[in-house]
Amino acid sequence: MKQINSRHGALVAGLMDWGIQDFIYVPSSHAAPIIRSLESQGVRAVMANREEEAVGIAGGLSLAGRKVAIVMQDNGFGNALTALATFAIQYHLAIPIFANTRGGLGEYNSMINSISESVPSILERIGVKVIELGISDSVEVWRSSTKAVAQLAKIQHRPNVTLFEALHPSLEEVE
Amino acid sequence: MKRIDALKIIDTFFAANPLVITCGATAREMASFSRRDLHLPLLDSMGLTSAIGLGVALGTNDRVGVIDGDGSLLMGFSILPTLAAYPATNLTIVVLDNGQHASADQVPSQAATIELSGAAEGLGLNTIRCNDAPTLDAALAQSKSENRFAMIFVKIEPGNSPDIPLLLADPAVLAQRFASAVGSSSQR
Repeated sequence: MKQINSRHGALVAGLMDWGIQDFIYVPSSHAAPIIRSLESQGVRAVMANREEEAVGIAGGLSLAGRKVAIVMQDNGFGNALTALATFAIQYHLAIPIFANTRGGLGEYNSMINSISESVPSILERIGVKVIELGISDSVEVWRSSTKAVAQLAKIQHRPNVTLFEALHPSLEEVE
Repeated sequence: MKRIDALKIIDTFFAANPLVITCGATAREMASFSRRDLHLPLLDSMGLTSAIGLGVALGTNDRVGVIDGDGSLLMGFSILPTLAAYPATNLTIVVLDNGQHASADQVPSQAATIELSGAAEGLGLNTIRCNDAPTLDAALAQSKSENRFAMIFVKIEPGNSPDIPLLLADPAVLAQRFASAVGSSSQR
């Protein structure tokens, strides 16, 4: 089982700073430590089988007044696109989405880059704000940015997406 | 039973509760005779209705209703195991099954030849089958009195009601009214 690294721990801390109440996730090996950490801290979790399903459940929770986020992997935005465009954007839903990136350094999948590299431009094309957190950003920036983008979703009544860099497990620092 | 007759029964039952309504002719027929702040009609987003309803139900203590269709449920079929894995005791999903994509030129859906309720039942979901107004009435009452999740499958006639106007509401306004009403409803 992968341990959480310092930057991913900072992302979790940022969500806790924000006051997250629920999160919907689609399993990802790179995001698994974040998912486990949020669950261990008592944040209610719902596992969705597809990313558009996650948008639907999170949207319902947001409409009920809950502070909810989605944790997923960037290649799932192909599935989620229509749900984001026709539901989350059109119904003005505050859903911060945190997605680990794939296709970069240490990638072992030869084809995943064909969707992952296009995700930022696809999301921007449908009007979703994209924030990127990389391994060159400090732990403090990860924590403060995470809280800030979640607050921004609430303030703007819109979904936004944070793409966070996650190296292959064998290359990640472990605390 | 025609769809609009089923909608009238469901609307009466959920008059003071959040109700998420699937897109297309279903949302339009409902809006033609009833518009409430506690209604969340979907103007698109086919396949998401039950997922949205689950989210609302997990966020409130009130009983939440969902009106889905066979075509929409088939499009988002992955919600069925999620409903089983995360049971919301305050959620009632009514699937109006006409065996066709009535809003898509009445092309037959797979529900024309398979029994969708069997999948829900197989997953352990509390499943009720109805064929007419009295059994729908009874199923809704049962779901409320038992205070547990229920998925009610209702066989309805194919086709759409004639002369129903388009639903041209602003989704942001619908969402804002719904969210405010759900908040007020939860505080009662």
